[in-house]
Amino acid sequence: MTAIQARATHIPTTASHVSLGRQLRSELIKLLSVRGTWWSVAIVAVLTVGIAVLFGANLPEGMNDPIMVIVAPVQFTMLLAGILGVISVTGEYSTGMIRSTLTANPRRGSVLAAKAAVLAAFLFAVSLVIFVAAALIVTPILAADGVTFDWATPDAAILPILSASAAMALFSLIGVGLGFLLRSGAGAIAVTVGIIFVLPVIFSLVGSFLPDLTWLIDVANYLPASAAPSAILPSDLSALNAAEAWLTLGGWAAVSLVAGWAALRGRDA
Amino acid sequence: MITAEGLGKRYGDKVAVDDVSFTVRPGSVTGFLGPNGAGKSTTMRMIVGLDRPTSGRVMINGQSYTDLRAPLAEVGVLLDAKAVHTGRSARNHLRAMAATHGIPASRVDEVIEITGIGSVARKRAGGFSLGMGQRLGIAAALLGDPHTLILDEPVNGLDPEGVRWVRQFVRHAASEGRTVLLSSHLMSEMAQTADHVIVLGRGKVLADAPLPELVRAWTTERVHVRSPRAAELADALAGTDVEVTSSDRFTLDVTGLPASRIGDIAADRGIAVHELTPTSGSLEDAYLALTGDSVEYRTREVPQDVAPLEEARA
Repeated sequence: MTAIQARATHIPTTASHVSLGRQLRSELIKLLSVRGTWWSVAIVAVLTVGIAVLFGANLPEGMNDPIMVIVAPVQFTMLLAGILGVISVTGEYSTGMIRSTLTANPRRGSVLAAKAAVLAAFLFAVSLVIFVAAALIVTPILAADGVTFDWATPDAAILPILSASAAMALFSLIGVGLGFLLRSGAGAIAVTVGIIFVLPVIFSLVGSFLPDLTWLIDVANYLPASAAPSAILPSDLSALNAAEAWLTLGGWAAVSLVAGWAALRGRDA
Repeated sequence: MITAEGLGKRYGDKVAVDDVSFTVRPGSVTGFLGPNGAGKSTTMRMIVGLDRPTSGRVMINGQSYTDLRAPLAEVGVLLDAKAVHTGRSARNHLRAMAATHGIPASRVDEVIEITGIGSVARKRAGGFSLGMGQRLGIAAALLGDPHTLILDEPVNGLDPEGVRWVRQFVRHAASEGRTVLLSSHLMSEMAQTADHVIVLGRGKVLADAPLPELVRAWTTERVHVRSPRAAELADALAGTDVEVTSSDRFTLDVTGLPASRIGDIAADRGIAVHELTPTSGSLEDAYLALTGDSVEYRTREVPQDVAPLEEARA
């Protein structure tokens, strides 16, 4: 440290108060400046394009919904969205960064709101880009089978892609809430995997052994992994209609965030 | 100005801070002392709203920290070196902090220069040495050019040049009328830096006084005397409240009499004096005397057998 202590304290800064916009900017800088974010994005991109290409090259007979090829990988990548949400929070706890965050802005509710908003917007934007890229890559493969995306009809292409991106955003919010609630990366990732991947398996296992428990199947429809396909590609065959599916996904995200907020607000950091 | 009123923190059955009241005034450096586990860090964490007091309250310029509109511009905090994401570069860490208050990137580069971390600013903070981490923490505390500085062990891990920089920096900040609260275990460093001292022990305030006053109150002044007729002089000095000890034939250590009086008595009897050195107590002596009963994690006394070593040398 050089002997310029006079400068250390005399330089007038234009520092002013905390605002939500500034808080969002800070959270965006934080999200974009760690490697974990870009690893997650890379894995989502590889999985989405890879699965879409495989699926597109082995199209089942009579496929009349080609956009399915592009949005189907969400069944896997939604877990990464959740995990990215988790580590954006638990990374702060494990390193002590949370203390810097909360001293810079002691209003904890706005810290959570800003982080949630940035994660959701980032996941939405990144997913959108990846889905469109996957569609462009798969287009010539599908063309070999004489199948094309119907970009002119919103329901047939654009809407499912937007919906899938929104679902990815909601899954990241489930992760953010769980991160604040549990603080430990391992714990919160385990619970996220449990909710997204393990619970559906348990429900279907129990359901197959005890087929009389029809309410169990009804409940299983409201798991996030079951609601997501109904929200992205609504069909008369799915148990939930589009509105119900979105309410279910939104409900999971909301409950998780409220639980995280309660923990953040009440506990010492 | 930091004002704590009846501040208390309890974790289950364990009382970390117990009804603590103090005022940290602007324009001076206030040292925060106490053994490990005395409640210093907990108190500092409560000041900046990270921990919620179980009783009482603490205000910064009359406001609770959580009500501050621009915390970084009011208070610069260094709680410990590890309040930084290990995977983020130092500069990005500071940029993210600055962004919350709309502090421009030019100020980020300034604090990087001031704290001397320019060469590592683009490296990931996880690889920083203790000293570099400490400098980064200080840089973050300076971002908003705050009126109040709260620094927990700021010189921990710094090299001598850094230690001196921190001392000069906080002295300068106080001279500008800023409020500085600083904790340290280095008593000699604290003695050179602080004007005022608050000593905590087992969660309570043991002392809250200007540093010279504290040292006077908790240490005894001793006079080291060398004389060829030491034994004779010792007899002459004897009296109530006077204690004379002697380590060898020619030296005396006297407490209870000022050096001037000892010199006068020696002159009256025609006793030659070769050395007359008043030694005042140090902050360390005062601190140890104060906290003697309240040290939670006590170490075993190391046997001080100096004599054999002396013989070996001879």
